[in-house]
Amino acid sequence: MSQLRDPAHRVSPRARLMWQVESGISALFVAAGLGVAAVLAGPDGLRWWLVGLAVVVCGTAAVVVPQWRYRVHRWEVSANAVYTQRGWWARERRIAPMSRVQTVDFAQGPLARMFGLATVTVTTASAAGPLQIEGLDRSVALALVDELTRKADLVEGDAT
Amino acid sequence: MLLVHPVKEVGKFLPVLIGLVVAGSASGVGPWTLLGVGVPVGLGVVRYLTTTYRITGGRVELRRGLLQRHTLSTPVDRVRTVDLSASPIHRVLGLATVVIGTGSVASDSDERLELDALPREEAARLRAELLHAVAPAGTAAPGVAPEPERVVARFSARWLWYAPFSGTVLVGLGAIVGVGLQLMESVEIRVSEDDLAAIGQSFVLTLVVGAGLLVTLLAVGGYLVTNGGFVLSRHGTAWHVRRGLLTRRETSIDVARLAGATLGEPAALRVARGRRVGAIVTGLSGDQASSAVLLPPAPRSTGYDVVSAVLGTAAPVTGALLPHGRAATTRRYSRALLGALPFVAAVVAAVLAGAPGWLLPATAIPLVVALALAWDRARALGHAFLDGHVVMRSGSALRTRDALAAGHVIGWNQRATWFQRRAGLVSLAATTAGGKGQVHVPDVPVSAAIALAEAATPGLIGQFCATERSRP
Repeated sequence: MSQLRDPAHRVSPRARLMWQVESGISALFVAAGLGVAAVLAGPDGLRWWLVGLAVVVCGTAAVVVPQWRYRVHRWEVSANAVYTQRGWWARERRIAPMSRVQTVDFAQGPLARMFGLATVTVTTASAAGPLQIEGLDRSVALALVDELTRKADLVEGDAT
Repeated sequence: MLLVHPVKEVGKFLPVLIGLVVAGSASGVGPWTLLGVGVPVGLGVVRYLTTTYRITGGRVELRRGLLQRHTLSTPVDRVRTVDLSASPIHRVLGLATVVIGTGSVASDSDERLELDALPREEAARLRAELLHAVAPAGTAAPGVAPEPERVVARFSARWLWYAPFSGTVLVGLGAIVGVGLQLMESVEIRVSEDDLAAIGQSFVLTLVVGAGLLVTLLAVGGYLVTNGGFVLSRHGTAWHVRRGLLTRRETSIDVARLAGATLGEPAALRVARGRRVGAIVTGLSGDQASSAVLLPPAPRSTGYDVVSAVLGTAAPVTGALLPHGRAATTRRYSRALLGALPFVAAVVAAVLAGAPGWLLPATAIPLVVALALAWDRARALGHAFLDGHVVMRSGSALRTRDALAAGHVIGWNQRATWFQRRAGLVSLAATTAGGKGQVHVPDVPVSAAIALAEAATPGLIGQFCATERSRP
């Protein structure tokens, strides 16, 4: 029985820390909101337990989910195709032939710039979703963009 | 052709005009009424005089505007569809409006390639020129007389039978109920229990039958106005769809851009033994759906004929599909029953809270509906690679059977939640540059998904496969 294997490469290990910082920030807000709600509306006696629970749940999610994403997020570029995998609950694998690549996009947010990471997005002519690789090392990402552009250039036609 | 714009402009200004006429006659000021007619007519003339188009150097150019000049230009080989439409005014004057579809997302009327009020022959010539330019080299050798038009489907009065089953009826009923409620609210009719008791059964029955009849009539009328005189034909390297009783629309789709076809078989239409067909056109996104109609609700055999003719092979409609197996069937049932759960729980909770006990059997209704839906959805699931086409079928109330030519598959998406991974299933989508961007089917067995992708795009997916069952 044949099945798809995981793509060969992981993203940069530093991506874990970046995602943790990222989700840590949002978890802080969520935990604060839940905490305030528990203090104001929670039943007597349980109040501080609920606050503690909110903080622990949000903190765990912020630490664990990025680890999980790091295990799942993978990518691979072969001679004639790009293959990516993302998601943690719903795993999404996307394959696009090199001949159908239309644009290759390199992006760095403020946080990613601090960590020296970058996102590469490969789009095809389909509206059903581009292939995105987050948390790549900056130099790896630049080399990847170069390689993809070069390979996509070799193909004639308008890639539809 | 000069006439159309002024006539249309006058139409737009009609309410103002009437006001002016009334005001003019009341106060006895003559010139006002003249101005009311003069301004729109003048605007129309200016618009006509300042709009020009040309095809040069492989580009279509459209210029318009007197004070604010607009120049639109697009490469001819980006033209996907050419739409000819003619309102009753246009038809009386022998004119047509040409809309050139390039797959651009601009919806602003200023940014559409639209040429209003060309003489019919010129419009037809322009269309031939645009579509000929995009025809792949070799298909139409110079010097050879163009092949005659071949008609595949033509409107017949029998098709009106399918109008009430096309889903517009439900929309119409919804609209009537909505308007009724709104009316009741605005005139503040208060319905008391005494009133309800006074309403006889026959009155309710009349109301329901009347509303049903009205909606059916509206549906048939709407179908006739939109689709009257429908003709689907192949002419040279393009498919032409002509339809419309009053406003005549002609859509032309270049064969090279026709990526596939969708056979629509919604539940209501299946009951009436009808089908509808849509085209998947490269560069034409799903929201421009009106350009992609290949057949309105029509007899099943006509639907099959149209798909076979358009794809050049009958296999994608007649061929057997591979079922998705027990795991997928189980998932259909569990998901449907899960959806029915809240309703059942609500009824049980109501009974526990003191509602009469005879309500309990009512819980059977959502369960039966869920089971029927699950049975139908499980039966629908299927996929196959038939004569060069990826074919996928799914859905119950809105079932579709999509056929996408292998050459137009530009990628594969596989999505699996944790539950699907446990069941060895994956939701598979073949992406393409037109329509909704993909054709997809849920819950394909993992190995079958690979086999389908490998058949349609050899050498693409195999390199990423592991033969043994390994879990890294």
